[in-house]
Amino acid sequence: MKLLRTLILRPLRRDLLRTALTILSVALGVAVVVAIDLAGDAATGSFRSSMETLAGKTDLEIFANGGIDERLIGRLAALPFDAHFSPIVETQAVIEGVGSVPLYGVDFAGAPENAAVPSRALAQRLHLAPDSPLTAIIDGRPVHFQVGRIAEAGPAEFLAIDIAAAQQALGRYGKLDRIDVVVSPAEDFARVEQAVRAALPPAYLLEKPGARSDENQRMLRAFRWNLRVLSYISLVVGAFLIYNTISVSVVRRRAEIGILRALGAARATVFTLFLAEALLFGMVGAAIGVALGRLLAGATVHLIAETVNALYTTSRPAPILLTWSQTWIGFATGALVAFASALFPAREAMDVAPTEAMSRGAHEHHARLRWRRGLAWSAVCAVLALAASQAAPVDGFPLGGYAAALLSVAAAAMAAPAVVLAVNRATRALVRRRVVGLLASRSLTASLSRTSVVVGALATAIAMMASVGIMVGSFRETVSLWLDVQLRADLYVRASMPATAAQYPPLPAEVPAILAAIPGVAAVDVFHGLEFHYRGERATLGAGDLEIVRRYGRLRFLPGADRDSVLRSLPGRDRAIVSEPFANRHGVRTGDRLTIPIGERSVTLAVAGIYYDYSSSQGYVILDRSTLLRYLPGQPATNAAVYLAPGADAAGVQRQIQLRTSGLGVAVALNSELRRNAIAVFDRTFAITWALEAVAILVAMLGAANSLLALVLDRRRELGLLRYLGASAAQVRGLILTEAAFLGLLAALLGLALGFALSLLLVFVVNKQSFGWTIQFHPPGQLLAGALLLVWSVTVLAGLYPARVASRLNPIDVIHEE
Amino acid sequence: MLELRAVSKTYRNGGQPVEVLHDISLTAVPGTVTALLGRSGCGKTTLLNLAGAMDFPTSGDVLIDGRSTRMLSESELTALRRRRVGFVFQFFQLLPTLTVLENVELPLLLAHAPQATQTARDRLRWVDLEDKAASLPYQLSGGQAQRVAIARALVHSPDLLIADEPTGNLDTASGDQVLALLRESATRFGATVLMATHSAEAAAIANVRVSLRDGRIQSIGGP
Repeated sequence: MKLLRTLILRPLRRDLLRTALTILSVALGVAVVVAIDLAGDAATGSFRSSMETLAGKTDLEIFANGGIDERLIGRLAALPFDAHFSPIVETQAVIEGVGSVPLYGVDFAGAPENAAVPSRALAQRLHLAPDSPLTAIIDGRPVHFQVGRIAEAGPAEFLAIDIAAAQQALGRYGKLDRIDVVVSPAEDFARVEQAVRAALPPAYLLEKPGARSDENQRMLRAFRWNLRVLSYISLVVGAFLIYNTISVSVVRRRAEIGILRALGAARATVFTLFLAEALLFGMVGAAIGVALGRLLAGATVHLIAETVNALYTTSRPAPILLTWSQTWIGFATGALVAFASALFPAREAMDVAPTEAMSRGAHEHHARLRWRRGLAWSAVCAVLALAASQAAPVDGFPLGGYAAALLSVAAAAMAAPAVVLAVNRATRALVRRRVVGLLASRSLTASLSRTSVVVGALATAIAMMASVGIMVGSFRETVSLWLDVQLRADLYVRASMPATAAQYPPLPAEVPAILAAIPGVAAVDVFHGLEFHYRGERATLGAGDLEIVRRYGRLRFLPGADRDSVLRSLPGRDRAIVSEPFANRHGVRTGDRLTIPIGERSVTLAVAGIYYDYSSSQGYVILDRSTLLRYLPGQPATNAAVYLAPGADAAGVQRQIQLRTSGLGVAVALNSELRRNAIAVFDRTFAITWALEAVAILVAMLGAANSLLALVLDRRRELGLLRYLGASAAQVRGLILTEAAFLGLLAALLGLALGFALSLLLVFVVNKQSFGWTIQFHPPGQLLAGALLLVWSVTVLAGLYPARVASRLNPIDVIHEE
Repeated sequence: MLELRAVSKTYRNGGQPVEVLHDISLTAVPGTVTALLGRSGCGKTTLLNLAGAMDFPTSGDVLIDGRSTRMLSESELTALRRRRVGFVFQFFQLLPTLTVLENVELPLLLAHAPQATQTARDRLRWVDLEDKAASLPYQLSGGQAQRVAIARALVHSPDLLIADEPTGNLDTASGDQVLALLRESATRFGATVLMATHSAEAAAIANVRVSLRDGRIQSIGGP
C-alpha cells in the first residue's frame, strides 16, 4: 500500500492535470455507454399498451391483420372453460387542445352508448369531471360523448368508449382489433390456450401479453446494437489513452522500478502496482461516467424515441431508471477497459531488470526496431478482418462485421509505428527546412511507442467519424435517389394522425372518390397498409393499384427483373413483390412462394420480384389491391398517391383536396414536402450517431492534449536546453504546436485509410446484415474534408496548453534538475 | 568582452532569502580561459548562468561588450544566445532524438543561419568526430558526447563559451581531450572561455583562476 502511495499516487498528484485528463477520457467513454443503454431502455421500454393499465391483467391476446370478425367472441365464449374474452377496437382520436390520443373501444356493458372514460391524466389536462361533455374527432368526424367515470391509469393519456360506438365511428361494423383473454386460475392454462388456438382461424395470432413487447425489442435489436457499438468507440479510444498513460508512467519510472527490483520487490509487485494505477483511473472515471451517463441519457432519450417511432413502432418514452445492475455494469466496463489496456505496459514494467535504468533514447530505439513485428501483426489482423467480413450473420446479427471492424482497428493500431516512421521518412527533406519541423518530427519518431498510441487513438476516432460519415452520406444519397424514383406522385394523402411507423390509420372511405373527381387529377393510387407476421417477425402487407404504379411510377427492382412485366403480372393473381430488406431478412428470392396471413386465411403468394426500399427494415410484401380486397373485402385504404395531368397546378389541386375533404381529418402533402420530411426523419435518425462521434473525437482530443503534455513534461530538460542554444519562446511553442499538427496529420492519414475500410464494412456487411438494404457507395467528399480539417485544427488547438507550458519552463531549473 | 560589476544574486528558499553570489566583480577577455574554482554550492553555476544571460543579478551588472544584460529585451537576449554565447554542460545535454550532426547544427538552425550543415561538419571534423555524424547520442562514449557538445557550443563562433564542469563526468583521457579543445577554442577561435570546475587539471589550462567560496571571490590568480 505504501509502495502504491509513493510510486503511483504521489506522481499522479504531481501531474494533476494529466491525471484529470485521463480520468475524464474514461469518464466520457463510460458515460456514453451508460447513456445509450439507459436512453435505449427508456425510449423502447414502454410498448405496453396503456389499455393494460385500464383492463388489468390479461393472459392471452388475439390479433389478426385486417381485423377480427367479432362473431369469433361468441364461438370463444362457448368453449367449455372458465375464461373471459374482451373485444377491443384500438385507434387514435384527435381532441382539441390535446392532439392525438389512443382511443380504445371496449365493452361497456350497460353503460350509455355515448359514455366516454378518459384516463386521469387526460381528464386533468382537459379539466373533465363525470358528466362533462367531450368531443373527439374519430376517423375525421367529430363525435360527442359524455364523461362517465375517470380511469386511474397513472400518467397515460387515453380515451375509452363503448365498442359499439367505436365501430360505428370508424365504420368498422363487426370488426375488432384485438381480443383480450383472461383465464380463471382454476383452469389448466395450457389446455385453455390449446383450445382457443384450435378455435381460431389459422391466420390469427394468439400471443401472451408481453410477446408483442418482446417482438418490438427483437425488432429494435439491430438498431440498438448498432447504437451500442457506436457508443463503445469512445471507450476504445479511452482504452488507447489509458494504455498511453500507463506506458508513460512505466517509461518515466524505469529507473525507479529498477531500484525497487534491486531492493527486493517481486515482479508481481511491480505488475500489480501499475495495474492498480490503471484500475484507479478506471474506477474513478467510471464513477464520474455513470453519473454523467445518467445526465446524458436524459438528453438522448427523445432522439432515440423519435427514431423508434419514425422507423419501427409506436412507443412512449418511459422514465430513465439507473438500476444497480446498470451502475455495476458501468463500473465493470471502466475497470475492465482500464485493466485490459494496462496489461501490456504493466507486463513491460514487470520485465524491467533490477540493474536496468535504461534511458528513453535506448528504450525508444528498441521500440523503433519492433515496427516490423507490428506491421506483420497488422497484416495478420487485416487478413482476419477480411475473413470475418465474409461470415454470414448469426441469428440476423452481423457478428462477423463487428469482429472485422474490431480487427481492422487493431490492424491500424499495429500499423501505426510503421506509418509514423514512413511519414517521417517521406517528409524528411521537407521538415529539415524548418528547425521546428525537424525537432518535432524527430521527437515524435523518437517517442515512437507513445506517438503510435496517440496516433492510434486519434486515428480510431477519425476513422469512426469518417466511416460513419461515409456510411450516412452514402445512405442519405441512396435514400435521396430512391425517393426521386419512389415518390413519383404529385400529392400524397393520408389520415391526419401523427406520422409513426407501423400504424395504419384508415382514410375515410369517401376520400378516394373525392380525389378522383378533382379536376387536374389524372390517377389516384389507393394504398392499403396493414401489419402481418412472417416467421415470427412483423412486416407490412401493402396493396396498391399496381397498374397505376406501372404507368406513373418508377419502382426499381433488383437486377434481372423487368419492371413492366413484373407489375403487369400481379393484378387479380396471388402474386406479390417484396422489398429488398424483407427478401434479405427471410432469404426470399424471386419465384419463391410465401404463405402469409390475410384476414382469416393463410394465402400463398408467388414472389414476382424484389424491389429496392429504404423505408422499413422489417420489409414490405406488396399485392395488387384487387388481390387484397378479394381476401379482405371492405378493407379501408390508408394512403393515396395522386398523379396530376400534365400542366395541372399541384398547389391548386392540394388546396382543392383540402377544401373538399375538410372535416374528414385528412393530410395532403406535396411531393416536395414529403421528400423534405423523409430526409428530415433520416437526418434526425442519425443525429445521435453524430453526437456519439463527437464524444469519441472529444475523448481523442483530450488524449492528444494529455499526450502532448506528457511529452512536454518528459522533455522539459531538452526544451530548456533549446533555450540555452538560442531558441526563442515562440520557437518552443511552435515546436509543440508542430508536433500536435504532425500527430493530427498522421492520425488523419491512418484514420482516413481505416475509415474507408470500416465504411465498406458498415455499408456492405453491417448494414446489409442488420437491416437488409443495399446502400450505394457515395463518400461525401466535402463533408469528410471539412470534418478532417476540423479534427486536425482541434488537434493543433489541443497542443496550445502544452505549448504554453513548454514555452514557460525555466531553462535553468530544468537543465540542472536531476 | 565579459564584465561582471559588483554582482550579487539572492534566491528565496521557503520564503527566506539566500544569497548565492555576493559582490562579484570580474572581467574575462577574448582569447583567454577563465576558470571558476570552488566547492559544490559556492555559486559557480549561478555565476555562469548570469554570464550567459540566462539569469539576471539581484544587484550589480553583467556587461557583454559594455551592455548590461538587464537592459536587453527578450528578443535581444535570444539573439545574444544565438550569436554570441555557447554553452557546454557537465552532462553533455545532447538532444537524444537528433543525430550528432543535427545536434551540432541545431544552434545555427535555430538562428536560421545559412550553410548550417557544412559549418557543423567542419566543427565535427575539428573535434575529430566526423565519422559519428549520423550516430545518435546514446551510441557515443562520454568523451565523444562532450566533444560533440563543444562542437555544438562553438558552431556559431560565439564570443563567449561557458562550460560548466566540462570534464566532471569524464575519464582522464577524455577529459584531457576536452580541455585541449576548450583551450583551442580560446586560442584558435578567439572565444572568451568561462569554465566552472573542480578539477586541478582543468584549472591548469586557464589563463585566469577565480576561487569562489560561499558566493564570494576568494582569490583571482594567473597560471
